[in-house]
Amino acid sequence: MKIRLKERLATGSTLVVIGLLALAIGWAYLEVGDANRQRQQASEISLGLTQVRLVTFEYRQYRLERARVQWFTATDHLDRLIASSTYSGSAQREIIGRLRASRVLVRNIFTALSAVPVAEAGAAVSDESRRRFELQLDSRLLVVQQDSLNDAFRLTELATERINRAQERVLVVIGIGLTSIALVTLGTSWLIRRSILGPVVSLQQATEEIAAGNWEHRLGLAGDDEIGALAGNFDAMVRKLRDAHAELARRNRALIASNEELEAFSYSVSHDLRAPLRSMDGFSLMLLEDYSEQLDEEGKDALQRIRGASQRMGAIIDDLLRLSHVTRVELAVKPLDLSAMARDIADEIDREHSDRALAWVIEAGLRLSADPALMRIALDNLLRNACKFSAHSERPLIRVGALPGDARNTYFVADNGVGFDMAYSDKLFGAFQRLHHASDFPGSGIGLAIVQRIIRRHHGRVWAESTQGRGATFFFDLKEANNGPDEQDHPAG
Amino acid sequence: MDQMNKTILLVEDNPDDVKLTLRAFKRNNVANPIVVARDGVEALDYLFARGAYAGRRGKALPALILLDLKLPRLDGLAVLKAVRAEELTRLIPLVVLTSSKEEQDMVQSYTLGANSYVRKPVNFSEFLEAARVLGIYWLMINQAPPEPLQA
Repeated sequence: MKIRLKERLATGSTLVVIGLLALAIGWAYLEVGDANRQRQQASEISLGLTQVRLVTFEYRQYRLERARVQWFTATDHLDRLIASSTYSGSAQREIIGRLRASRVLVRNIFTALSAVPVAEAGAAVSDESRRRFELQLDSRLLVVQQDSLNDAFRLTELATERINRAQERVLVVIGIGLTSIALVTLGTSWLIRRSILGPVVSLQQATEEIAAGNWEHRLGLAGDDEIGALAGNFDAMVRKLRDAHAELARRNRALIASNEELEAFSYSVSHDLRAPLRSMDGFSLMLLEDYSEQLDEEGKDALQRIRGASQRMGAIIDDLLRLSHVTRVELAVKPLDLSAMARDIADEIDREHSDRALAWVIEAGLRLSADPALMRIALDNLLRNACKFSAHSERPLIRVGALPGDARNTYFVADNGVGFDMAYSDKLFGAFQRLHHASDFPGSGIGLAIVQRIIRRHHGRVWAESTQGRGATFFFDLKEANNGPDEQDHPAG
Repeated sequence: MDQMNKTILLVEDNPDDVKLTLRAFKRNNVANPIVVARDGVEALDYLFARGAYAGRRGKALPALILLDLKLPRLDGLAVLKAVRAEELTRLIPLVVLTSSKEEQDMVQSYTLGANSYVRKPVNFSEFLEAARVLGIYWLMINQAPPEPLQA
């Protein structure tokens, strides 16, 4: 049964008991009121009877006409009282019936009595018999009236009994009602403890277990109520979480494995792939040096090409290893002075290209948080790129700065070199993608791929804009690099 | 002992590299005898006069070891460790001569007591220059430690 239903039942039964109590009290109120009214009526009837008796006595004593009229008035009054009485019980109705009959009898007797002429002197015999008749009527009247009085008292007693009975019943009903309320309250409290508190404690323990990593813990609370549904949902949720967790762990292991493979692969590349190139270059040079007389120009040219190709491939392998290195190396983020770093690299480039008049405009006070070694590689690639692609410019100018008023702190490296066609901008950062011929601008096409990997490992973005023939600008930001661990490449930490 | 008679132990498994290294030294007029060990075990056998080199007991030790890292059977780092662990060989100058410039290789080599770490360049002209400098430095300029004999 649902807890909601149980709670409604408990509340409902309490309300019903309270309602019954109210009904009982109301009934008792009406009952007592009615009984009181009947007692009142009984008193009035008693009073009326007494009055009639008094007037009867008076009339019998003095035989006054006034008394006779008064008697009828009093009797009429009494008859009206009896007629208007509202007794409902069978005993009462019986008494009322008797009273009515008595009244008729009394009236008849009184009428008979009042019809007897007043005693006159000289009629002794008839007087004697009349006196006896009168006496007979008198005593009959007395007896009937006394009986009626007794009946009236009996009516009063019955009303009083009714009041007492009503009070007793109310007491019993209140007692039963209070007991019922107490039972319902106890039942509700027990119910709450059994169907809510117990399961809530289990739930709390379960959350602790699961928080401690025990994914196999089950609530296992059956039941068709809300707590049962909650427990079912909870267990289902834990199962899903466990599965997701296991899946995550599995993927993490796979990632670690593939990372280790990558590690082993690049180690092997680093050692083994370059050795044959050394042989090709070395033995070509040996031929050129030791057998130059036997070789014509074409043969020598071929050997030179073999050497050139070997060395280019060596450079490509080195670039690949660098790219792999920036992916694998552990990040050590700290605050650094980008302006100073840019100036340092610019000086280095100037020394290497002393024949070229490169103009540098490096904004001062550019500070950011990044891995210094990786950031230097990225900036070095960007600046050398700018230098390379402005080689044919009349007045090469390279600018390094930050976009003003930008919340994300976007930095840029701009040149006034050849630029590139924006149609190919999506290829710019791919490894070994080149937008220019190697004969125009040498390079393996790995530099920007390295830049992109470094920026991405700092959770930043890198993009470029250009107008062909009027230079290119490379933008990057590292907003989220400053906080949180690097989770992109090192799942195992 | 004469500088020119000091032996160089070249530990290298790739015959091309052996040939090119020998050529590089020859072209740079390094006339010292060069012994080639083709794997780590052979190198240690030579140094400690064991196995095929048991007859070397009491003979002079090499004045310089050129050690490749990636070797069959026993790799270069293990050889380096063994060489530095033995009283007899721990002072012999040892130059790691290898293809890789992996950071882990360099750090481990120096940690285990390599005197120098040279990366073999693809360009043979550069390698010639490296071999020349190596020969001059380790065989002429550098004052070698007192030379112990094979026990």
